[in-house]
Amino acid sequence: MADRIVIQSFSLQYSATTPGVLSSVSLDIPSGTCCAILGPTGAGKSSLLQCLAGTMQRHHPESVASGTIQIGERLFEALPSHVLFPSVGYALQDPHVQISGVRDTVFGEILFTLENTGEVPDEPAAVILPLLRKLGIDHLADRKPTSLSGGETQRVALATILVAQPPVLLLDEPTTAMDLAAQEKLRGILRGMKQSTTIVLTDTQLDFALGICDQIVVLEQGKVLFDGTPAAFLRRLDEFHTSLPLENWLPLRQQILRLLDQPSRLGSRLALTLGLK
Amino acid sequence: MSTGQSLSRKLALVLLLWVCAFTLPWTIQASLCVVLIIARYAVLPLRPITPRSAKAFSRFILYSIAVATFIILLNGLLIKEGAVAAKVFGIPLHKEGLLFGARTASRLLLLSFSILLFFVSTSLPDLIEHLQTKGLPPYLALVLLLTLHFLDQLPARIHQIFLAQQARGAPVDSGLLSRTKALFSILSPLVLSSIVESIERGTALELRGFLQRPQVARVIKRSESETDWLTISLILLALAVLIYRIVQWLIA
Repeated sequence: MADRIVIQSFSLQYSATTPGVLSSVSLDIPSGTCCAILGPTGAGKSSLLQCLAGTMQRHHPESVASGTIQIGERLFEALPSHVLFPSVGYALQDPHVQISGVRDTVFGEILFTLENTGEVPDEPAAVILPLLRKLGIDHLADRKPTSLSGGETQRVALATILVAQPPVLLLDEPTTAMDLAAQEKLRGILRGMKQSTTIVLTDTQLDFALGICDQIVVLEQGKVLFDGTPAAFLRRLDEFHTSLPLENWLPLRQQILRLLDQPSRLGSRLALTLGLK
Repeated sequence: MSTGQSLSRKLALVLLLWVCAFTLPWTIQASLCVVLIIARYAVLPLRPITPRSAKAFSRFILYSIAVATFIILLNGLLIKEGAVAAKVFGIPLHKEGLLFGARTASRLLLLSFSILLFFVSTSLPDLIEHLQTKGLPPYLALVLLLTLHFLDQLPARIHQIFLAQQARGAPVDSGLLSRTKALFSILSPLVLSSIVESIERGTALELRGFLQRPQVARVIKRSESETDWLTISLILLALAVLIYRIVQWLIA
């Protein structure tokens, strides 16, 4: 069952003497939806994910935070003091570091996560193989996890998290190592997961987020510049050209809006493709 | 013989050899080094698991023999005690210095050969699994895992940084001297990138619940394991050597 995430007036500094990384961030991400946090490098996207995953307090004990984070029924004043796995799954930006190297096969690597949770089913293959099929990597089950390509590693890394069925999934710039075909595949996978998982992903550009996300948040210098639906974002596109690379989208803006505003079949199809309806 | 049993025996052997390295005369230590080199070919569980690790071990033997010779000669040259044992290019090498050098070198060789042979003949997943079944705390397992991963990736990483330096026009490929100089320029990126990757790798493992790994699996596996007399014998032998040395020291 997916969990709702509510962040209220959340601020963060890495130490009392350094400037704030996040400044009074408030977000409400309904359960079973996908939220894209967009922004340039250094905007605070990864820091926010680390706070949600529960690693910030552990890795930066001197960090100072205020506000609240609520994930499902659990309310945290400031920062969670421990890693929230398996309630929250967090896939790091570099998929290669996600591969532990303690198992010789992809199957074993994924089983390793189940062993960590202490919930190894009697027949692990009945859980792992369908997941691998869903991600389109069932043919890699017996391969060595450190010998895969970037896109394959990305999907194996995702499988190592998804096998624990976290109600919340955090993806830090998931498309960094992916070509367009692999991005499309991942988009399909995430779309299929939305019912059972709340997904929060970060990215530096808009392209991947459209067509999958129900909510777009633009973050810059730790502040929320925009929080709304993709359709609302497209209507205000020109306001964010300094924060995001929108060169490909800005020339199309007028046409997209005209098509969306007209009750035509083409408009409806476009809206569906971009995830605006 | 199970993987766990084989690992226990190898760990016990390393323990015995380390005790020997600090207690026995250098002649025995040097002999043990030769025995280890033969064992690398003759004893199946001590054979390197990949061609890459076999090559690394062979190279290490060559380098370490060169280092050992250097240590012995340097001590023979600098410690001017005892009779002159030999002259190299007219430079006298003293007996006491040579003996001290031989003692130091044989100890270093035995310590490094034993630990290296253990790692080249052991798969990392098997080692971590085994140590965890023996009750190694997750934090220590994590540190060990990150260290071994770093060592495993070290040659590839150095090669990558060398290539990057070369692409920037640094003379890294023209002779020993320029390669040695270039070594200093790769140290900083090597250390920094390794630290960053280790932190991320550790975080990724933590994010998969590695540190909360339940104890149950270990208990079950431990109860399944049988008494291995060879492992016990090796540990007892290590203890006996240690006690013998302490007694000898007390009498003297």
